[in-house]
Amino acid sequence: MRPFTHINARTVKQAVTALAQQNGAARLNAGGTDLFGLLKDEYLPAYPDMIVNIKTIAGLNYIKEDKNFLRIGALTRLADISKSSLLRQRYAVLADAAHSVATPQIRNVATLGGNLCQDVRCCYYRYPRHIGGPIQCARKGSGACLAVTGDNRNHAILGGKRCFAVCPSDTAVALTLYDARLLVVGPGGERQIAVGDFYTPLKNGLRSDEMVREIQIPRLPEVPQQTFLKFTLRKPIDFAVVSVAALVSQATGICTEARIALGAVAPGIVRADAAEKFLRGRPLTAETAAQAAELALADARPLSRNAYKINIATALVTRALLGQKECEIPPDEVKAYNPTELSTFHRCSSSTPPGYATVVESGTATP
Amino acid sequence: MATAPAEKRPPAKHVSLVVNGRAVELEIGSQPHQISPSHTLAHTLRETLGLTGTKVTCDNGACGTCTVLMDGAAILSCMTLTVECHGRSIISIEGLADGKTGKLDPLQQSFIDHTAFQCGFCTPGMIMSAKSLLLENPSPVEDEVKEALSGNFCRCISHYQVLRAVMAVAGKEA
Repeated sequence: MRPFTHINARTVKQAVTALAQQNGAARLNAGGTDLFGLLKDEYLPAYPDMIVNIKTIAGLNYIKEDKNFLRIGALTRLADISKSSLLRQRYAVLADAAHSVATPQIRNVATLGGNLCQDVRCCYYRYPRHIGGPIQCARKGSGACLAVTGDNRNHAILGGKRCFAVCPSDTAVALTLYDARLLVVGPGGERQIAVGDFYTPLKNGLRSDEMVREIQIPRLPEVPQQTFLKFTLRKPIDFAVVSVAALVSQATGICTEARIALGAVAPGIVRADAAEKFLRGRPLTAETAAQAAELALADARPLSRNAYKINIATALVTRALLGQKECEIPPDEVKAYNPTELSTFHRCSSSTPPGYATVVESGTATP
Repeated sequence: MATAPAEKRPPAKHVSLVVNGRAVELEIGSQPHQISPSHTLAHTLRETLGLTGTKVTCDNGACGTCTVLMDGAAILSCMTLTVECHGRSIISIEGLADGKTGKLDPLQQSFIDHTAFQCGFCTPGMIMSAKSLLLENPSPVEDEVKEALSGNFCRCISHYQVLRAVMAVAGKEA
């Protein structure tokens, strides 16, 4: 990695002051598992001048519940979230989402704040400098989104605008389901952002001199039925093709509350408002769940090669509503599914130069 | 743009950590004998301290080859800055055998007994991940071992033998 100045922040104020002084040339480092991709591949036009270590800030690693909120410190590690008995019992979707991230080694250092603020995984955006990159694109401020005409199997089917990269965070899906909000600190003070509003097509809602301090989940009055499902091409260390979280409360066979959140289908996390409204006041059956799933994806506008995501998302929403934990989908259940394309998916997204990305190779998926 | 270094704290001149039970003090700077703030722990272990048992494959956090223990938990040394290891205790594959007698750790012996490798390049990472699991949970069931090793990839497909090797140690310790 190229050299940079390194400082250890002792307080949140020190960290945001350093960010403000560097005027966009400094980056915060917590777990580092996303930041190191930037430092090693240098996929952005500018290399950071300064890395601000925020692991040295004491007191930002906690999970606690008070009268109104479940509060999680931004530096709480994903391993602690996935193992927390409080979350396992009452906020299982968040614990499951945290557990679905990457590998044990990464969860041992990666933080909730970092998972929420991680950069997108678009293969054009992250294309490494040392093998012919970086590639310019709309997200980097010049040119068009290359995924629109290129390999877009990994991209948005909902809400894309100028940039079609999807929000890669799994924990954001859980937090959007719970109507959580972020407590963000900048030089001018604190503000709150709903996780559902945090992601926009070209960037997340954090200014260059702000950091996330706390994640606040409104207390659930009871423990509803809740399910998190994540479809990936391999089980560990993979980002979601589609992830879905659903929460249902029933009284005398009728849904009193229904919430559905979809991840990796749009630049942000999508709450399926129409589907939720449809379910409230209706009994939850296989049929109504399937109807709700259709409604949830009614606005989807796929790009040239990602219509298969609609089928996967529909199947996952139906299953999540019914509390089924099965994530695998047989190929014949997915209408637009092309096994050859899917089998080469991760090769295209990681190391194949973009000129080759549209070439469909033969062969089977690596187990 | 010029920046005012008013509140900037000068970087620490040294980073002190414990590697395999031995206190190590490293000077931070840009001279050949110093470590740069941009050096990863994997780089420092291999190039500065000569502990080449820790391997680096992808150098991007995706393969698990560079796994070491930091305060008992498995972490990726290629995704860790050495300057951020101040006050930490690191154990690499070299630190598992008994320092005085040279007797191998039960896990290492079990990997040999079960031939749990082919080319062996991923083995140090596999053993460190397994060690981290056994420190936390001395008698894991098979699914827990698979889960703990899910971040370690072997292109020779030694995973079946690795699973047997770790389960054998778990059985002994149980």
